[in-house]
Amino acid sequence: MVKMSVDLDQTPRSLLVCDRSSFLNEKNRISSQVEQLHFNYKVSVLLPECSSAPSHLDAVFNSFNSFYLIRNMPIYELLDKHFLKTAVYQGSVYGVSYRTRIDEDNCVALMPNGQLSLSLDKDSFELLGAEGKPSRFNHRTTCRYVVCVDLTDSSMAPGGRGYQRLLTGLRSRLQLKTDFLLSHHPGGGASLQALLSRYDWSEHRPDVSSHTLTDLSCPALRSCDLQSCDPHSLLEWIGAVDAHISCENSSSSFLSSLVCPEPKTTVSRALSVSICGLLLPQDVHRLIQQIRYYLEQPRLESWVSLTVHGFVDSPVSWGGNEHGVLRGGENFYSLLMFHDHTYQLHLATGAHDTCPL
Amino acid sequence: MSPTDKKDKPAVYQRVVLKNASPYHYMKVCLVLEDESTRLSAVDLKQFIISGLKSLYGEVGAALTFDLLKYDEDTLTAFLRVYSRGLVKLWSSLTLLGSYQNQACAFRVLQVSPFLLALTGNSRELQLD
Repeated sequence: MVKMSVDLDQTPRSLLVCDRSSFLNEKNRISSQVEQLHFNYKVSVLLPECSSAPSHLDAVFNSFNSFYLIRNMPIYELLDKHFLKTAVYQGSVYGVSYRTRIDEDNCVALMPNGQLSLSLDKDSFELLGAEGKPSRFNHRTTCRYVVCVDLTDSSMAPGGRGYQRLLTGLRSRLQLKTDFLLSHHPGGGASLQALLSRYDWSEHRPDVSSHTLTDLSCPALRSCDLQSCDPHSLLEWIGAVDAHISCENSSSSFLSSLVCPEPKTTVSRALSVSICGLLLPQDVHRLIQQIRYYLEQPRLESWVSLTVHGFVDSPVSWGGNEHGVLRGGENFYSLLMFHDHTYQLHLATGAHDTCPL
Repeated sequence: MSPTDKKDKPAVYQRVVLKNASPYHYMKVCLVLEDESTRLSAVDLKQFIISGLKSLYGEVGAALTFDLLKYDEDTLTAFLRVYSRGLVKLWSSLTLLGSYQNQACAFRVLQVSPFLLALTGNSRELQLD
């Protein structure tokens, strides 16, 4: 008799890293942790006991850098000599393919340090003929490959063998074209004009939306050290607020039993602001500084929550590490800041990801 | 250590890594019906899913508790919460639910995650055109 044990309880691996520290602690790594998520899709902020954002915060929300959408861009354009010289070598270009799914299609990412990452299916990889490695997340059969090149390295200098090989591959053999999102540091936008002028492009400002909540039950969050709320319940509550899900359920309710974690309190009003688009870590840094300044003033509630979501279909996440989608492609972090400069940082990721640093 | 020393000392750095520790999984699902004008209330939908669990896993399966966190009647889209160990049972019941009141139907599972927060930040919803 063959014994088959089917474990219906199993779910794919997920990680939640919980950091506690203070901005005043000189060894805190918040800056590098914000930097490691290059491609951010959404930033949402929850301000308790606040009905409208003060002007300095409002200014930051509305000053996230705009980005470009280039439709049907051939990827070999990222190797264009002029583009490399004026943009990539200056170290400030973020680019990621749009409307490509990492579990189905070919995806491309260009990081500010000049690394170009291509996540390709088997046929595309063989057609391209460039050096690459099988994906870390292949299961049994090798069906996905990753080609990662450093465009600033001497081996990829225009005219060199490595450069020519990749360029020929992208131009004549594979002819990879995708919609592409491209962002840029302010003061460097002019260098993109040559590339943009050759294709159908549009500029977009990140979409800012806000709504006010009234009589919101929220966990009692006094300070980092006195935290009694467990991380998963806290993140669930923040998610419920973001999704406009009610936490006012009695235990006998038929539909839902979701409740606010105890110990809890009620705030008469709260402001939730969301920004969506291709968002840069530099703008997230500025926002964190302004929120710290906001918290220094005496407030009724002494905390603010900030959540940053990475792109689900980015070939890289948490630095230059490979990212994929198994059942989900979550890669986000949630920063809970307190008035005494302490913070709790929760970094969450799914099965096809490395552990965030 | 004097009291003033303790006050001036900044918080110590602490890191905890939790693996597979989420007690719940969350699903974003959409019900597609043959007759697109049919409307269901939240209670109807939950009862329908329970009937699906019952037909596949019996009475014990139907006792699997899940929550209907949010429901949009116009798009028939719902957020569900289930214990992680019950995810496979719930998901398989949704897959095999084929008819609602004598009309063909299908559940589209749009997103699954151990974090509710991930369901609100799905970059696949980014519309730029």
